[in-house]
Amino acid sequence: MTPPEDRTSHRLTVTNWRPTASVGVLRRRAELVERTRQFFRERNALEVDTPVLQSGANLDHGVLPFRLDLHHGARFLPTSPEHPLKRLVAADYGDVWALAPAFRVGERGRRHGPEFRMLEWYRLGWDDRRLAEEVIALLALLTDKPSTHSIISWRDAFRTYAKIDPLTADDATIMAHLGNDAAVANGDRRVALDLLLTRDVEPQLGRDSWTVLTDYPADQCAQARIRNDANGTPVAARFEIYRSGIELANGYHELLDGSLLRERLAGELASRTAGEQLDERFLSAMAHGLPDCAGVAVGFDRVVMLALGLNHIEQTQAFGWENT
Amino acid sequence: MGTTGIGEVTKGSKVIFDGAPWLVLEVNFVKPGKGNAFYKLRIQNLLTGNTLEKTLRGGEKVEIADVAESEMQYMYFDSTGFIFMDQTSFEQVTVSTAAIDDDKDFLLENMNVQVTLWNDSPIAIRLPNTVTMEVEYTEPAIKGDTQSRVLKPAKLKGTGATVPVPIFVAIGDKIAVNTQTREYSGRVK
Repeated sequence: MTPPEDRTSHRLTVTNWRPTASVGVLRRRAELVERTRQFFRERNALEVDTPVLQSGANLDHGVLPFRLDLHHGARFLPTSPEHPLKRLVAADYGDVWALAPAFRVGERGRRHGPEFRMLEWYRLGWDDRRLAEEVIALLALLTDKPSTHSIISWRDAFRTYAKIDPLTADDATIMAHLGNDAAVANGDRRVALDLLLTRDVEPQLGRDSWTVLTDYPADQCAQARIRNDANGTPVAARFEIYRSGIELANGYHELLDGSLLRERLAGELASRTAGEQLDERFLSAMAHGLPDCAGVAVGFDRVVMLALGLNHIEQTQAFGWENT
Repeated sequence: MGTTGIGEVTKGSKVIFDGAPWLVLEVNFVKPGKGNAFYKLRIQNLLTGNTLEKTLRGGEKVEIADVAESEMQYMYFDSTGFIFMDQTSFEQVTVSTAAIDDDKDFLLENMNVQVTLWNDSPIAIRLPNTVTMEVEYTEPAIKGDTQSRVLKPAKLKGTGATVPVPIFVAIGDKIAVNTQTREYSGRVK
């Protein structure tokens, strides 16, 4: 009798090949994608596919892109589809949206994966407030929750939940507020404020309904324009939307000044050490001129977590990071 | 033993903070979308058992603790401490009274335990979850009463420790004791 062929002899290790999301979750996820398509079809926005390899890097503070070295030069994985979508808007393609793969180095946790899907769209002639309303309408539709929401400024959120005025408090007061965590900030005000945000503020946002956190400080404007708030203080026309303490969306009334945007991105680039390069095709489009518009990016996997009551992002992805 | 990026630290990692070895019980990554990343750890001091929360910034380096476990057999107690024999190398190892602490109450000669070594020095032992002990003395048994929830103290042979036992337990009985809760868990026949 011939022994059965040994199919395992050349296999080095037994690795877990199975999906990280159940088939039930993937069916629900597909249904949420379908609802999203329906939503934008009814609202006349065009679905587009955006490239996964970009010739320049996204340069958002604290967001690190993967760099690929190809024989004819570097390419960068998008940290969001912002650049190609804005190039389409600049080319007068109208309202566009994408559900695109996004990649961020080192982001790994219950609500973070180095690879995820970003739902991003742009509305011509809208401002950030009008767009925030539309984001909540979509989130409500996807999660079967009411669209009731509250709006709070970044400054008021700190005053309410961290009991500190983040604009006027001196560094020593902020460090004192951090208590045992002060050593982590090591005197860096921006780090200290981020730590207070994650520790004292964010867990309180979106507890019973959606919370729109808005009017970010001018030095956290990213690609938003600056405007004056009711007190005449310059703030970024930027918002984030929270539910159950989880950040779901980030949007702007977009900055239109191409040379100012180049300055901001060059400033961010100066602090980078991983070989990032400016996205010159994107900056050329911005120099050509972006029409007045608002744009937003939504972490789609987190929306799936919220809609299905899941507590780890990998449960929403067919193959989570540890299993790709 | 070298350092690693905080991003590589997971539940179960052993790391050094403030000169002491800690076991990582939980890791939470938090980060505002466009802001600084933080790791919020829950850690347990391997010397004292104390737990605490610790926050680190993304990108920080942490020192890895050289912590290992080895199966050893308890031999005897002398003025230097508790003497064990490593079941692999057959070397004798002395574990201090402070490191053994309350575990001495269930530590019998010839018992095999896991000894935690930090930089090759023993810092703690881990008893089996359940050990069998003989009752040296207890108040007379009330036979047949297996329903009653009333407990009485029983002194254990070999260590002199006392644990609460049901009233049907008699002198000379062998009983199972849960070493984590320090509670009686049944009679051994």
